[in-house]
Amino acid sequence: MFIHYLTIAWRNLLRHKANSVINITGLAIGIAACLLIFRVVRFELGHDTFHKNYKQLYRVVKHDAYPDGLVYEEGMPGPVTAAMRVDFPQISAISEVFSSYGSQITIPSGTQAPKKFTESSGVLFIDTSFFHMFTTKWLSGNASVLAQPGKVVLDKEHAERYFGQWQEATGKTITMDNQIPLMVAGVIENQPLSTDIPLSVLVSFSTLPPYGNRYNYTQRWQHSTSNHQIFVLLPSAVTPASINKQFTSFTRKYYDEEVAAKKTFFLQPLKDLHFDTRFGNMGDHTTSRTTLLTLALIGGFVVMMAAINFINLCTAQAATRAKEIGVRKVLGGRRQQIIFQVLSETAIVVSLALLLASGIAFVAKPSLSLLSSVPAAVALFSKDAFLFLLATGVAVTLLAGLYPAFILSGFAPVEALKNKIYQKGGARISLRRVLVVTQFAISQVLIIGTIIAVKQMNYIRQADLGFNKDAILLLDNITDSTSLPKVATLQQQLQQVSGVKAVSFCSDPPSSSNDWSSNFYFNHAAKDESFDIFLKIADTAYFNTYGLQLIAGRSFTASDTTREVVVNEMLCNKLGIREAKDILGKDIRLGGKWYPITGVVKDFKASSLREEVRPIALFSRKEFYGTIGVKLSGAGLSTSLAAIKEIWERTYPDYVYNPSFLDEKIANFYQQETQLAVLYKLFAGIAIFISCLGVYGLISFLAIQKTKEVGIRKTLGASAASIVVLFSREFTLLVVAAFVIATPIGWWLMSHWLQGFVYRIPMEITIFLLAIAISLLIAWITVSYKAIKASLANPVKSLQNN
Amino acid sequence: MIKITDLEKVYRTEEVETVALNKLSFEVKHGEFVAVMGPSGCGKSTLLNILGLLDDPDAGSFLFNDIEVAHFNERKRADLRKHNIGFVFQSFNLIDELTVFENAELPLIYTGVKAAERKKRVEEVLEKVQIMHRRNHYPQQLSGGQQQRVAVARAVVNKPKLILADEPTGNLDSSNGNEVMQLLTELNEQGTTIIMVTHSEHDARYSHRIIRMLDGQTVTENIMI
Ligand SMILES: Nc1ncnc2c1ncn2[C@@H]1O[C@H](COP(=O)(O)OP(=O)(O)OP(=O)(O)O)[C@@H](O)[C@H]1O
Ligand SMILES: [Mg+2]
Repeated sequence: MFIHYLTIAWRNLLRHKANSVINITGLAIGIAACLLIFRVVRFELGHDTFHKNYKQLYRVVKHDAYPDGLVYEEGMPGPVTAAMRVDFPQISAISEVFSSYGSQITIPSGTQAPKKFTESSGVLFIDTSFFHMFTTKWLSGNASVLAQPGKVVLDKEHAERYFGQWQEATGKTITMDNQIPLMVAGVIENQPLSTDIPLSVLVSFSTLPPYGNRYNYTQRWQHSTSNHQIFVLLPSAVTPASINKQFTSFTRKYYDEEVAAKKTFFLQPLKDLHFDTRFGNMGDHTTSRTTLLTLALIGGFVVMMAAINFINLCTAQAATRAKEIGVRKVLGGRRQQIIFQVLSETAIVVSLALLLASGIAFVAKPSLSLLSSVPAAVALFSKDAFLFLLATGVAVTLLAGLYPAFILSGFAPVEALKNKIYQKGGARISLRRVLVVTQFAISQVLIIGTIIAVKQMNYIRQADLGFNKDAILLLDNITDSTSLPKVATLQQQLQQVSGVKAVSFCSDPPSSSNDWSSNFYFNHAAKDESFDIFLKIADTAYFNTYGLQLIAGRSFTASDTTREVVVNEMLCNKLGIREAKDILGKDIRLGGKWYPITGVVKDFKASSLREEVRPIALFSRKEFYGTIGVKLSGAGLSTSLAAIKEIWERTYPDYVYNPSFLDEKIANFYQQETQLAVLYKLFAGIAIFISCLGVYGLISFLAIQKTKEVGIRKTLGASAASIVVLFSREFTLLVVAAFVIATPIGWWLMSHWLQGFVYRIPMEITIFLLAIAISLLIAWITVSYKAIKASLANPVKSLQNN
Repeated sequence: MIKITDLEKVYRTEEVETVALNKLSFEVKHGEFVAVMGPSGCGKSTLLNILGLLDDPDAGSFLFNDIEVAHFNERKRADLRKHNIGFVFQSFNLIDELTVFENAELPLIYTGVKAAERKKRVEEVLEKVQIMHRRNHYPQQLSGGQQQRVAVARAVVNKPKLILADEPTGNLDSSNGNEVMQLLTELNEQGTTIIMVTHSEHDARYSHRIIRMLDGQTVTENIMI
């Protein structure tokens, strides 16, 4: 019996070739897109779930209250760990980690030149209790090896990178930042990729304090850096709320009353580490649950559209099969048998689509890492992916198959044989209309989303940052005491390279993710101001190199120490000073000393455009120049670059040369948004394509049904154009109906998305008009193609057909 | 084999009520060959549909082999039908997606006959209607007469006791029509009861008895010699 159904299903597929292709490709593309999204969402949601104590692990975080809001921070002051160990005996384990990004690891290799590696994803100073809390697998050694200073543990990948084979690693000595000798004491298995606490190079925590200055690790309660984080493991009897409560007395104990009142420590569950965008983590990104939900929704939408196509085409075809069903019933086919037949035919088509979808997804998988944060090494197919495919297959089969199955099996045989069911099709046609409108509406929402996302990203890219980011090469500068004397020569040499317009030594470029801030006093006030000031420490060439504009006064005088300060407009605003020149000559206290303000610089965007302009102080101080900015003219770029590299490596032979371009770094701030914009474009494209297929399929069916009508009309003298109008009128109405639904949804969704940006484009009516114009155009093109074919057909032929 | 008494069928649409069968009664014995004749719209097809258990009457009694079937539900009707009744239609009603062989095989699939047995029996009937050489063709590739022979083959493949034929020659020219009538006669001679609706006096002559209908009632019954 089943074989018989298979044959019939297969012949039906072949007989309606065009329809089958539309059906299967449309569905396959939808499912493939959804499978990829499923992979992304699963990857993001799966972060750190492999830790056995996942539900009991927390990170200690804090927020400080400022007049203009709360500032959240995951970094903890140095002494907190020890204090907590005393004050919170009920916590089963407390662990601190300190990460150093961009550290250099040197591997001596006998007589040859040593191998040098820059670890941009972080070297971790870590204590032994970490391993009692988090799940790791030891290949060699165990946690206790990290109890002593001067020990390092590598993950398998790094052990192999450094020594070829991980078995070779143990016992070898490596050097961190040309300063700290470390003995390899163990090797651990590579961590899963979906983690926000990546473990690669792990140095015993007790190694850190003697080098505290170098890494900005102190035992001061006032000082914190996001590199220092504290994790705790709660026994099941202890609630995080009880710990949070106790933190109130904890902060009172260690801070002045006034400071303690503004400072709130609390526990953040490990399960939020990846999703709470108020905080950073040690991995490479956080993803808000909203973004994931948006993605899942888009995926759901796309599959829904594909399923709608499928349902539409199946029911449309069903009507043409009335006679077959009638005959089957006359010959004794039972209702359940007919339902089973239609369902199994649907299942066959769905299976073909699933197969094709897996193929498409497999081919598209490598591009996934460009569009999302999923590393290329994450496999597409896994048990959960198969379950997902199976579930989707069953759902689509039932959704798309049950309806036609019930309709078809319900035909009374006598009437089915007479083909009377056509006349009763009214209700079904209106259901089909509803489905088509849903499809158009979904694709219009996606079109609106795409237009807005793309416009916003273009706006950001072209926005006036207040400084010039183009053609600036960024290099590291080494600021330890042995390297500092080389700076002057290095600057001279770099300036002499042809194609170099300016060279500036500074803490960081005008726009960077570096958040160095401090409290400050103004105009000899006894109390510090209520907000912090952000610091850019640079030489005088900074203004010229980055094209900063002074709007009042002058730059600070060139010096290796701090003598004068330049501030920005925003600081004036925040201090309530209207005219920039009025601040000139006033004094500002940073750290322990008062400095005169000599100039005011026009505001520039110091961080991403998601945030407001910050109050900034610029001043000189040689020890903090960790970055070299080289402004290039653009001509003869490659020779300039080669010369610069040569000079840098000659100056700092022990270090790795890590050049980067500022505009690329700035583009990275918006990586997620850019990816999202690309994703929107892609999915809008897919959605449009699928709805085109749907329209095309429906119109083909309509054309078959109307062949006779068109034939008669033509015999009576109708023109081809009037027949195209006949076909397109209905679809135009459907597009307009969809627009009425899509506009408010699109508006609501996208205004939410734009809230995330301080600098954003307005929502213009033209965007919405463009969306409807696009979908009308597409519908018309699709309809016209089919309608013109129908209208050009020989009327005699189409009449004979019946 | 068949005994109907006071059978009624009324079609109701919004505006009109059509009495298709009006207290119709007659009897058909095993092995008979009966022709039903009458003007267009007098209710012949309606009668055949009810006799074939494709439709149910509004009132009256319908004994099939002495069992009252007028009140049977769809499932019971389907079961009774597939084992006992074969159909031949004016418009053939072959399934376009199936070959000649597969069309003839269909009733056996629904009665659950094993594949090997099916093959044997289908070949047998195709042989009988002389269409074996076209077994792998699709209906569209055959002439009207050939298609109707396939339909007859399909109707008899299950060895039904009753064959209902609604204007089996209506779409055929006279020589093709005669072939089909010849076939039906042979089947009847082998013991199958046949009830045939026809407009043709010529075809009616193949039968034993003619039931003439008018406005849903029998008017005369001619016995043929
Ligand atoms: N489904 C239906 N709904 C309403 N009226 C119907 C239906 N089927 C048949 N009729 C009516 O019932 C009457 C008998 O129809 P029937 O098809 O049995 O006639 P017939 O004798 O087979 O005619 P013909 O020789 O033209 O085939 C006719 O008046 C017809 O219009
Ligand atoms: Mg009739």
